[in-house]
Amino acid sequence: MNPRHWIWLLSLIVVLSGCAQSTALLRDKSWQRQPGTVRVVIMPPDVQLSELTAGGLLEPKADWTERAREHVASALEKHLQTKGATVVTYEPPASGGEDDSADVQLVKLHDAVGGAILVHKYLPVLALPTKGDRFDWTLGAGVKQLQARTGADYAVFVFFRDSYASAGRVALIVGAAILGVGVQGGQQVGFASLVDLRTGDIVWFNRLFNPAGDLRTAEPAGNAVQSLLVQMPL
Amino acid sequence: MNGPASLLVVLAVFAVTACATPRGAPGALSDVRPAQRPTLDSDEAGLWMQMDRVEQGLRTSGHLVTDTAVRTYLRDILCKLATDYCPDIRLYVVQTPHFNASMAPNGVMQVWTGLLLRADNEAQLAYVLGHELGHYLRRHSVQRWRDVRTKTNVTAVFTVLTAAAGHGYIGSLAQLVALGSIMQFSRDNEREADEIGFELMVRAGYDPREASKVWESLDKERRAGKDSDPLIFFATHPPTDERIDTLKELARKTYTPDRDWTDGRQAYLKAVRPLRATLLRDELRLRDFARTQVLLARLVAAEPASGQLHFFQGELYRLRNDDGDPARALESYERALATGGAPPETNRAAGLLLMRRGEKDRARAAFDRYLTEAPDAEDKSMIHAYLEQLR
Repeated sequence: MNPRHWIWLLSLIVVLSGCAQSTALLRDKSWQRQPGTVRVVIMPPDVQLSELTAGGLLEPKADWTERAREHVASALEKHLQTKGATVVTYEPPASGGEDDSADVQLVKLHDAVGGAILVHKYLPVLALPTKGDRFDWTLGAGVKQLQARTGADYAVFVFFRDSYASAGRVALIVGAAILGVGVQGGQQVGFASLVDLRTGDIVWFNRLFNPAGDLRTAEPAGNAVQSLLVQMPL
Repeated sequence: MNGPASLLVVLAVFAVTACATPRGAPGALSDVRPAQRPTLDSDEAGLWMQMDRVEQGLRTSGHLVTDTAVRTYLRDILCKLATDYCPDIRLYVVQTPHFNASMAPNGVMQVWTGLLLRADNEAQLAYVLGHELGHYLRRHSVQRWRDVRTKTNVTAVFTVLTAAAGHGYIGSLAQLVALGSIMQFSRDNEREADEIGFELMVRAGYDPREASKVWESLDKERRAGKDSDPLIFFATHPPTDERIDTLKELARKTYTPDRDWTDGRQAYLKAVRPLRATLLRDELRLRDFARTQVLLARLVAAEPASGQLHFFQGELYRLRNDDGDPARALESYERALATGGAPPETNRAAGLLLMRRGEKDRARAAFDRYLTEAPDAEDKSMIHAYLEQLR
């Protein structure tokens, strides 16, 4: 899916599902962390930050995105460590190699599967009749190469899209409000999965919507990661 | 998604793939310099980031042409045109049967195989590559993005004001006007890229008279094909007649018989011929037969001795299957076999048509020839079964 469509899709989901708080999904409701060491690899977070122009365009921001990626990655690591997991640092394989593209494909696959979960699990009108109450999405056996290379038991995948109203957009929102016309501001949406690297199954999934979040600075970025992962059973 | 929102998404998508302030005008963006990268906090860096993401997907796309010979060939032409900028451009050859090439602000150039099927020679190809380089050198993507941003900003304010005054329809009208003016902007970009493409091909020694021929052939196909004219108001490319006239005029001023111009036809054919059967098969899959017929007629006129091209003309008739087409197909297959260089499938295709007509002896002879030419064919058991039936 074109990244530009994400924000619209996600906003739609949020609107239709009534701005609910983060509610996590578990593959197996009685699932519990195995005793002993749990090794978790954090996949490169798929983050993109944009500025919402007065005219309503999303202008991608490279500097914000770079900072946000670092904030999210370090917040993820800290969170998992406080949970007692052993964090395996993700090392990209030699550039241009086959593994490299395989990892990129996994992140893209997670974007697509996560998008499907958002649509079909969080939107009651689009619930898939054959799925029922089951939550059995998977990234498939393709994760095994990641398991072999990193030796991790689980992988955490995180997706964030965050937008901020430009000064012009803020002025338009204020001015329009005075005139009685509603204009939308920026918003933060994200989702995360815990993936079992032996099977590729998504054992846990959560999503986040926050019209006032900010990934550009360390502390609010930490809070966003915190509220996304707080219910993760690790 | 509501109306204005979807309109804006459409605009955003238009803006990111290339396309003005006239060169040298005050306030115009300077040309990109070799090895130049935008500063990280700029809007241009945001566009680069977006396209880097697209490139990541492109690098692992299953539609890329992996044939190294043709990739090297295209790369060499590109470098001849781009000179100092050559290391900044990454060229991807994408297997898709439409005439297209595109340029992203971060240096990703795409060449679609429909272009390789259609260019007559290296000079025409060089002109198209030069046109795309023009978008890169003049930073058309960021120019266009800024233009769209300004225009949508103004429109948004106007829309809010008119909506507040209870005249929402005026806002919609303003959006339409803004859309038209954004498209206008890109037509200027295309004209400029045409000029730069022409300059670059001439500098590299290619025959300047070839540039306008690209659009002429394309225009003939377009008129025959399924795609009707887009509304001129929304057309992102200048009307073709105008482009052709401009390029012809430039060629008239530039061409001198004393200089040693080249069209590079032999080198071009050598590089593209190995791919041609695949490209023609892709083309036929579009089932836009009227368009393909125009294309094939042009290719056959240039190479009447190519059995391969006669075979594909036969394939076109066989697939179209209108009244009289089976007979036309058979005629083309027979011409292909008489000309030489036809692929072994020609005999199979002819055999099937003859079998359907009840001409058993001729069908059997065709199938026999097919098995002789392709003894390891995947479908040889099937052909043996047909031969049994025909006995």
